[in-house]
Formats: sequence, C-alpha cells, structure tokens
Amino acid sequence: MSVPLISVENLTIRFKTDEGLITAVDNVSFDIQPGEILGLVGESGSGKSVTAKALMRLNGGNTVYDPASRITLNVPGEAPIDVLGLKRERDMRAVRGGAISMIFQEPMASFAPAISVGDQMVEQLMLHSDMSKKAAADLSIEMLDRVGIPDPDKRFNQYAFEFSGGMRQRAMIAMALSTKPKLLIADEPTTALDVTIQAQVIDLMKDLVGEFGMGILFITHDLGVIAQTADRVAVMYLGRHVETGSVRQVIRDPFHPYTRGLIDALPKLSDLDNPLTPIPGDIPSPLNRPKGCVFHTRCSVAIGGRCDRVVPEFVQPGEGHDVACHLAADQLMQGAAE
Amino acid sequence: MTKPVIEAKGLTVTYQIGKGLLGAKSQLNAVDNVSVTIEKGSFFGLVGESGSGKTTLGRALLHAAPITGGEVTYQDDEVTYDLRNIGKGELKDYRKRAQLIFQDPYAALSPRMTVRDIVAEPLEVMGLTKSRAETDDRVREMAAKCRLNLEHLRRFPHAFSGGQRQRISIARALVSGPRFIVADESVAALDVSIQADVLNLLKAIQADMGISFLFISHDLSVVAHVCDHVAVMYLGQLVETAPTRDLFKRPRHPYTSALMSAIPSLDPDDTGEAEKLEGEIPSPTNPPPGCKFSTRCRFAREACSASTPPLREMAPDHFVACHFAEEFDFTRDIAPATEDA
Repeated sequence: MSVPLISVENLTIRFKTDEGLITAVDNVSFDIQPGEILGLVGESGSGKSVTAKALMRLNGGNTVYDPASRITLNVPGEAPIDVLGLKRERDMRAVRGGAISMIFQEPMASFAPAISVGDQMVEQLMLHSDMSKKAAADLSIEMLDRVGIPDPDKRFNQYAFEFSGGMRQRAMIAMALSTKPKLLIADEPTTALDVTIQAQVIDLMKDLVGEFGMGILFITHDLGVIAQTADRVAVMYLGRHVETGSVRQVIRDPFHPYTRGLIDALPKLSDLDNPLTPIPGDIPSPLNRPKGCVFHTRCSVAIGGRCDRVVPEFVQPGEGHDVACHLAADQLMQGAAE
Repeated sequence: MTKPVIEAKGLTVTYQIGKGLLGAKSQLNAVDNVSVTIEKGSFFGLVGESGSGKTTLGRALLHAAPITGGEVTYQDDEVTYDLRNIGKGELKDYRKRAQLIFQDPYAALSPRMTVRDIVAEPLEVMGLTKSRAETDDRVREMAAKCRLNLEHLRRFPHAFSGGQRQRISIARALVSGPRFIVADESVAALDVSIQADVLNLLKAIQADMGISFLFISHDLSVVAHVCDHVAVMYLGQLVETAPTRDLFKRPRHPYTSALMSAIPSLDPDDTGEAEKLEGEIPSPTNPPPGCKFSTRCRFAREACSASTPPLREMAPDHFVACHFAEEFDFTRDIAPATEDA
C-alpha cells in the first residue's frame, strides 16, 4: 500500500456561535492517494465544504478542531506535514496554494474584478515559487493554452468579466494547477455551468489528473457528475460519512438508505414513467442533531428504538465499501448466517 | 379543443446596445421570431444554455421585457389580451393572472418580512381582498396548499431551508389566483433530494388548480420528468419543439441530441463521449449567418451557413429547424416505456 497523499483521521469540527457550539463535521476519516479522485457528495449543510476547507485550514476564527482530529499531508520526498498542528500563517503558505490548490463554485467571485487574469496568475506563482515575472507569465499563458482557452496571449491581459462562465472556470483551473499542487480541492466546480460546458470541464479535469498525477477531492451534490469523474465516493450527511466505496459500489449497489434516496431523487432520462421520489423532510439544523443515526428522522426504514438511539458502526458489504447503517448491518449478518 | 393560454407569433425582443460607428446603433435580438403556443393546463418546458434567450422569452410573455415584434395573445375564460398593445388598466389585471417564480429562493424573499406578510403582499398591493380577515384566509389556504403550517407563517425567511423557501415563493405566486405561471429555473438552486419535492408540488398545483406553466430550465432531465411539451432554444430561436416523450425518444435536431448526451450519466462506464459539444454559445451581438448552431454542429456543411432553416413539422406536433433533419436518427432508449400519448 502506497502512502496516501493526504490522510484525514477522526476529523471533528465545531463552530462557536451565539447559539452555542455547532458540530459541522463529526468524526470523519478518509485518505486520498496520488492520482485518485475522491468524490464527496451530500446536500447543502452536510459539511462537505467545511471538510474541504479544513485541509487548508481555511475555516473561520470560530472553528474548534477536536484534539483527536489529525490531517497529515505526505508530499512525496518531503517530511509529512501535520496540517492541524501548523501554528503560524507563514507555515500554512506551504499548504495553501503550494501543495494544495482549490477551485471554487463561482469563478466570478474568485477572481479580483479590477486586476487582469494574467496578473493574478503571475502573482500567486511568484508567491509560491522563486520564478521570475517573465517565467511566471510564460507558464501562465502555457497553462491557459493547456486548459483549452483560445488566444491565451490575448486572454492573459483581459479581466474576469470579459470571460464567459466556462472560460472563467477554465482560467480558475489553469491558475490552480500552475503551482503544480499535489492535491486539488474542487468545490462544486461545475455547478454554475451549462451541461455542455460542464461536460467539457469534467473531461479537462480527468485529462489533467492523468497528466499531473495529483489527487483531487471533488465536492458536488450531483451524483451524475460523481459517476463520471470519481474513483471513490464518500456520501456525507449532517457532518458524517454514511457510505464510502468505489464509485461503482456506491452508485450501482448502494446500501445506505440515504444514498439510495439521493439516487432515486435524481431525474433520469432513462426512466420517465415513475414519479420522482424526494427524500422526505429537510436536513435538520446542526443545532439539534438527531441522536443515534443522524439520518433516522428522514429514513423510511428506520428501526424505532435503535436507529434513534445507537450510532451505527461501519460495516463492510464489500472490499473497500463501508456503510454506517443498522439495517445494512442486519442484512449482512443474515446473509452471512445463511 | 380548448383555447391556448398563450399564443405567440413571431415574437421578437430586440435591445439596442451601445453606439456603433457614425452613431449607428447595434442591435441584439435576445428573442428572434419565436412562435409558441401554450395550451391551457399544460406544463410547457423551455430549455437551452445560458444566453439562449429562455429568460427573456419568459419575461416577454409576462410583459416584463419589451416586445418589439410579433404578436402575443393571452387568453382565459374571462379575458383576452393582446400583450403587445395592452393598456394600463388591462396590464394591472394581467399581473394577477400571470405570475413568476424565481430561481433563487434566498434572494427572492425579503428578510425583514414575515412569511405571512410575504405571501399576503400581492393581495394587498393588488387590492384583491377587502379585510385583513379575508387576506389571512387566503394566505392560510395557499400556505396549506404549499405545505406550510401556521407556525411557519409567523417566522422570517432566514429560519427556512432552500426547499421551504421555494415553497413560500410558490405560495406568494399563487395567492393572486393566476392562470399562467412562469417558473424560471425554479429548482436549479435546490438539492436533488428537495428538488423532487418542489417539482411534485408544482405538478400537483397544475393538476389541482388547472394553472398553465412555462417551465424554464437548463436541466433536460428535470424537464423530461415534469413537462408535457418542450421547446429547445438556441441563440434566441427555437430549434425544436415537440411533445416531451417524442422529443426525448427521438430528438431530431443535432443540438437537442448533443444537449441530451451532455447530461452526466449515472453509469460510470457510459461516458457519452461521441457527441460532446465543442466551444460555447456565440455572442448574440454577432450571431453566425444561416443556421445559428452551424458553428458548433458536427454535421454542419455549406448550406447551413447560407440560409436560416425554418421550423418544419417532421412528425405530428414535432417541429425542427434543421436543413438536414431527415438524415439523422438520434433515437434514444428511454424507459421500457409503453407508448402513451
């Protein structure tokens, strides 16, 4: 087994708010190998973005990391970095934009409006490397070309508002990749794009993983996008991972009722006859997290007296496939007994 | 045969932009010669990429964008309006009959009004009720339809999730008793789990109250599930319109087919590689000559940029604007579906 690029163990994140301490992420563990795309799926409020931001320590000042939490970044050929142990802003620079880059959902909001796209790309390159301005500009233009932006020389001097939505997202990707990060965090990178452009961006990202061999943490609420990009998937609900496994295991053979609910709620072109089945109710407020299994308040197959009391342990329906559900555990027990 | 709620013929919305050389203004045809008929009680879908003019068309039908050419007629049991030459008084009345549901439920609701006041506002502004008691009755009735309880009415929008907020917006749109609603990307901002819930609610409203919908969306799979008729738009023009099942079973325009194959498949082994569209939608200020899709069409040939293809009826009620539509067979597998019309 190779050393994972990043390894997250028992990550628990709480926020101090006026209403009290809120748990946003609850005991989450996962690894990302070099060259692997891990998809993180869940509804808004499930803690996807908070998890991702923790990898770069980007959460706000009211964040409390549980002492048992550990995030270790292993850049090949360098000493492992204990991300949560970093104290000074100066040390964090090695992580932020150095070993890890991030692309956001809304590319218009991520570029400064009054500085040309090229200058922004050069600025971050000069911060993270000892490149000359000329070399940084050349590399930036080359990256713009690599992500399929026509006339990169001309585009380099333009501003973000002169780019179309898809083009901005490409420029964002070019910028994130120009520092040659080991890990790329993509937070809903295609959500604001048209399907046609989304397909282009997904292809681009897959090509780039092949070429640069980096790991990607791909956050989205769209299971179709995950099916087309990720190698492995973690399904998240109210701060917990409820099911993880390879993309084929989770999407073809989901065990957790929440994963099944997400798949059933997705309108599919291949099935126009059956009505859409929503997951009943709304995601509960993190201020009053349900006891036991966090999903039991919306689960149609919850077992009274058990799901609302006992937190389910992970069980393995297959190699590398983990599910936290009492019902799945019972099914597996039965299967084993027969 | 019932009369259509909305009948548009050659509808054009043109904006003047900037000044060219010698003071000549350049023009942008956001909606270019579009004819649509929305039957009473139907759920009419309008799809296309951003910049295709979907929203402008929707607004023009509500008399919220300037109609610069063509005719639009609104009709219900009581009134008939020619929207291009509508009078002030008539327009006021039309506002009660035609409503809009917005995309972003976070931006559409005032954070400083209670849900009750938000839903009641149209009634008060339009003077539809005579007393506060009557207003409250109407508000409660609509809230119940949208599955909001009395407790909810006293709270402010910040206390609600995206799905609940969208239900509040729907209640607000319904309260004036409209006959026609434009739903502009009304589920785009919602999670899939909630999206299905809101779609089912809209469908139930359409069935119970006989309201006709224009459902604008960029998401073909959503449209396929809720609409009975679909129009596909590209750069201000309709390229294909058909009953939903016909359209999704056998799209006849290369653009429609490419849009469908761009939807990410849930099957990791089905990458839909073959039909991916290159490039982006061209700028409407400088549209390509002839067929506007010709710059991105993988079947394009000389004739395509020479003349604009008209909408032709290729099958019953199935119109396609492509010179060579006869040559293509984009038939897709949808469902073990029985043929129901």
